[in-house]
Parts: sequence; structure tokens; C-alpha cells
Amino acid sequence: MVTLSDISRRSGQWITPQIAVFALVLLSLPFWIGPIGLYQYIGVEIAIWIIFALGFNLLFGYTGLHSFGHGAYLGVGAYAFGLFQLHVGVSLFGGLLAAILAAGVAGAVVASFVSHRRGIYFALMTIAFGQLFWFGAVKMHWITGGEDGLLNIPRPDLNLGVTSFDLSGNTALYYLIATLVIVITILTWRAVNSPFGRILQAIRQNEVRASFIGYEVWWFKWVVFTLSAMFAGLAGGLFSMAQESAYPDVMSLHQSGLIVMMVLVGGGLVNFWGPILGVVLYFIARDVLGAITETWLLWYGLMFVAMVMFKPEGLAGFLAELKRPSEPETWTKPAEEQ
Amino acid sequence: MTLLLPHIFNGLTLGLLFALIALGFTLIVGVMEVINLAHGSLFGLGAYFALTIIGAGWLSDTTFGVWWLSLPIAPRYILALILGPIFAGLAGMVLELALRRTYGKVPLYGLLLTFGAALVIEELIRLGWGTGEQFLQLPQSINGAVLIGGLIFSKYKLFAAGFSMLAIAAVWVFLEKTPYGAIIKAGAHDSEMVRALGFDLARLRLLVFGLGAGLAGLAGVIMVPIWGLRPHVGVDVVIPAFLIIALGGVGSFWGSVTAAILVGLSVGITGAYAPAWSMMSMYILLILVVGFRTRGLFGKKSALEN
Repeated sequence: MVTLSDISRRSGQWITPQIAVFALVLLSLPFWIGPIGLYQYIGVEIAIWIIFALGFNLLFGYTGLHSFGHGAYLGVGAYAFGLFQLHVGVSLFGGLLAAILAAGVAGAVVASFVSHRRGIYFALMTIAFGQLFWFGAVKMHWITGGEDGLLNIPRPDLNLGVTSFDLSGNTALYYLIATLVIVITILTWRAVNSPFGRILQAIRQNEVRASFIGYEVWWFKWVVFTLSAMFAGLAGGLFSMAQESAYPDVMSLHQSGLIVMMVLVGGGLVNFWGPILGVVLYFIARDVLGAITETWLLWYGLMFVAMVMFKPEGLAGFLAELKRPSEPETWTKPAEEQ
Repeated sequence: MTLLLPHIFNGLTLGLLFALIALGFTLIVGVMEVINLAHGSLFGLGAYFALTIIGAGWLSDTTFGVWWLSLPIAPRYILALILGPIFAGLAGMVLELALRRTYGKVPLYGLLLTFGAALVIEELIRLGWGTGEQFLQLPQSINGAVLIGGLIFSKYKLFAAGFSMLAIAAVWVFLEKTPYGAIIKAGAHDSEMVRALGFDLARLRLLVFGLGAGLAGLAGVIMVPIWGLRPHVGVDVVIPAFLIIALGGVGSFWGSVTAAILVGLSVGITGAYAPAWSMMSMYILLILVVGFRTRGLFGKKSALEN
């Protein structure tokens, strides 16, 4: 079986051939998404969720911390962006910065509670905090607008000093988000292949051993949790910009579960590109299956169950096995799978 | 204090109901170390089966259906109370067969599989029973209000709380006082040794999972007149159940009963002062307790911590 810890030869590079291809696909998407029968807005959604999923997999796949309440930080980011536009001033960078910071602070507070926890208790605490944020968003209607949420959030222009771009069209918005996705892909790729990334993987494989080597395990867990909450905050800010609204559903348990499903189905447990595959697969399944049947979630759920039963390494694991089928069977159970 | 008394009583009743909800979940977690996220959906499934049994479902147009509906509500309710959980238990057994592939792997896989199963069951419920809110008919004898010591109580809530105490006692007797309980617990502790002694562990696990799912269904039939029934009822149920386990500590039977009563009390008393925030108090309770005690109130070491 392949694992995330199979460090490739080119790991020290900032830009690998895969990243270049990925960037090319992303940037050329507006030209071919119409002809293949999809529409521009799905590109926006996919790009936003890729940011969310990449950050989430730092925690889920690389560090082995199973957060089931990550939708909360997406929601915090969405609200922060909306509140900034509505009450502080219409500004793209201000709003996104507010989203990242707010989600980062929320994540840091939660991380201080959960970074000493493991396994099931970690998962439970993240659910409890996720619900807490969701409850807060529903009940504090004087800030968040309650069940309806914040409506009519303006889409600010991209102001680069010399020139400014109007982002009210979905294609323009897509290019902004795609650029951010590329930057974030490069940063996460570099991060997971850095000494920091190795430590995260050591924590996943065996927390006790990692602490015996001398690493402050809880500190690394705290940092990676906060970091992935910031990613989620950025995604949330972009989401409220795309939707022009922010509402409690964004941070519901449902969203938190969805991101887990996407990352796992794609193969986030075994491959850097897994989360991206998972996000793409989910949105295409939603649109293609959703066009055929109203109960598409039933089929997606069944597919997910089958995936966990027969191929928990996900799509990426499946593809990797196709590539090198000659791997000896005796290596299928590494020590980390206790 | 006298003003608070009814809220404390209410909280205790609620706590017993929470304990009933968490019972099947506790059983499966404690004995098999599997987090069954489909617990809430099985709860809903049991209640929907009961609904169909009471209303005769697809048979309501046949002569049998007409005869069945002409009976008074009490026998129909009792049959639903028995058969609903049994059907939920059977559904749980099917789930266990699928779960077998995840045994001995990372505990996360079991959790994810049941999460997917919850989604599937919820969609199936939507398909079978529609998306609207449904109500379960009750016999007259347990419906309405009763006056105790100058205070008005819902008869049904008292019935449900009493029923929940019975169920807790029955599960405790089963686990602690029968040979089955001993084998099941031994199986959780050292599965290899139990197999070596000649017990069929696969069948035992199937039984335990069926039992846990059946208890979920039972809780569904009992709770639905209070909470209402909708396809996504599962989420409303599995979260408190999950929370109670964490609060009480994984693997501790009385831990989860105590935790359920604590949760009920905190929800009940918060409800007296700030009704809108009453459900939130349980999350704060969990964070306070698990923030300071790693394994909840009475938790033991468990494979789920890895």
C-alpha cells in the first residue's frame, strides 16, 4: 500500500511537474468547462473547496488528527468576510485577511483545548466545538442574522494599486480563486515535504515515539490545527464572496462531514493530490448524478461506504496501485495501522 | 429552590431519556470499540417502522389493513414497540456484516463507514416515508397530563423515563449477570483468547451490533412522540449520544448513564433561565469535563484513542 510518507525524490522543489500541470488545468478551465457540459460557477465552487480540502488534509491525512467539526472554521471565515464588507468597508484583501484571522483565532482557541487529545476524544471535542460555533451563529442573530444569515454581501473589486478588476462576473472571480489555489498548493506541497511536514507525519505514525525523539507533540498539533483553520477561513471568505451571503448551514455538521468524505474518497490518506481529486469527484457527482436522480446523495453515500470497505486508500490509492501493481503483498500493513 | 425543583425533575427525566438514547451506542462502543455514527439513523428507522406498523402502511387498503386499523390504538402501539426495534436491529446486523471489513484496521474506518451508512439510511427514509414531519399516535392511557404535588407533568414523559430505567437495568443485567455478557466483554478484551476457547466471535459481534441497533430503534419509538420525527432526526440524536459517551468515558456503562443524567440536568436547568441556549449547555459541559479529564468521567483505556 502507498502512504503519504512515501517521500518522492523531488520533494525539496517548490514547483514539480504535477503542480505545473495542475496550474495549467486550473488556468485553462474557463475555456473548456462550457464545452464539456458544465458551467463556470462549479469551477468557483471546486476551487474554493480545494483550498478547504488541502488545509484539512494537513490535519486529517498528514497528522492523522480526525477533525469532524471543520465546517465551523469555513463558517467563521464566511461570516468574518461578510461582516467586514458590511460594517468595516468594502475591500477584498481586508475581507480575506479578516476571514483568515478570525478563523485562525477560532482555530487557535479550539486547538488549545484539543491538542492534548487523541483519537476518539479528539474527534468528539472537534464535533462539540463545531456545534458550539454553529449554535452561536444561529442564536446570535444581532451579529450573524440568525437562520437567514448575512445577505447582500458585496463582491469587492480586486484593487492592485495601479489597476483594479471587477470581480462581479464568475469568470473573473474564478481567476482570482484559481490563482490563490495555485499559491496554496505550492505552499502546502512545500510544507508537507519540509522538516515540519515530516514531524506531522511522525506524529501520525506514532505520537509517543515522536515525543520520545524530543518533539513537543501538542505544539505541532496546535500549529497544524490553527493552520488548517486558517485555510478553512480563507475558503469560507471566498465562499461568502461567491455566494454573496453567509449563513449557518456553511458551518453545519453536514459540511464538516462532507469535507471528510471528499478527502477520504479522493485518497487524502495516501496522496497529496487526494483531496483535490475528492473535491472534483464530489462536485461532478453532485451535478451529474443530481441531474439524473433526486436521491443522488444515496448513491454517493453507497459509493462512499463501498470505498471505505474495499479501498480506503481512495481514488488516489487506486490510481497508484494501477501504476505499480508489482508491490509485494507483505508490505500492506505498515506499523502505523494499529 | 422550590421554583427550581420542577426544572430539576424535568432535567432528571430528560437525563433518563438521554441515557436511553445513548444505551445502544454505549453497548456497541464498549464491547466492540466501534463508533456507530449510524446510531441516530437506526433510531429514526425504528421509529418509522413503528409508524408504519401503527398506520398499517402499504397494507392499509387491504381487508387485513382495514381490520388492523379498526383495532384500538393500544395493541397496535405495543406491537410497534416490539417490532420497530427488531427491524432496526436487523438493519443493524446488515450494517455489521459490512463493518467486518474494517475490523483490525484503523478505528477511523469503522467510524467513516457508519457515517456513510447514516447518510444512506437517511436518504432511504426520505425515499420510503417522504420528507415531511410525522407523528406517532399514542394510546390514551399514556397520553395527556397528570397532577403530582400541585405540578403538572406529561404522562408520556413519565412513562418514557420509567421505560428508560427498565431498559438500562435490562442491559446491565445482560452484560453483568449472564454468561453472554461475560463472553462479550471477554471478546472485547482479548478476542484471540475467546476464539481459542471455542466461542464464535463473529456471531457474537453480529448479536451485539443487532442488540445495539435494536436499542437505538427502541429509543426511537419511545422518543419520537416527544421530539417529532423527520428524516434528519438521526443527526439530532447521534450528537447527544456521542457527547454522552465522551463525557462518561469510553467503555464505562455507568459513566455514560451518569453523563446522560448530567446532560439532562444541565439542559433542564439552563432551559429554566435561557431556553434558547439550553441545548448548547451540553457542549459546554463536555468541553469543561473533557478539557480537564482526558478520558471523560470514568473512561478506560481504549483502542479508539489511537
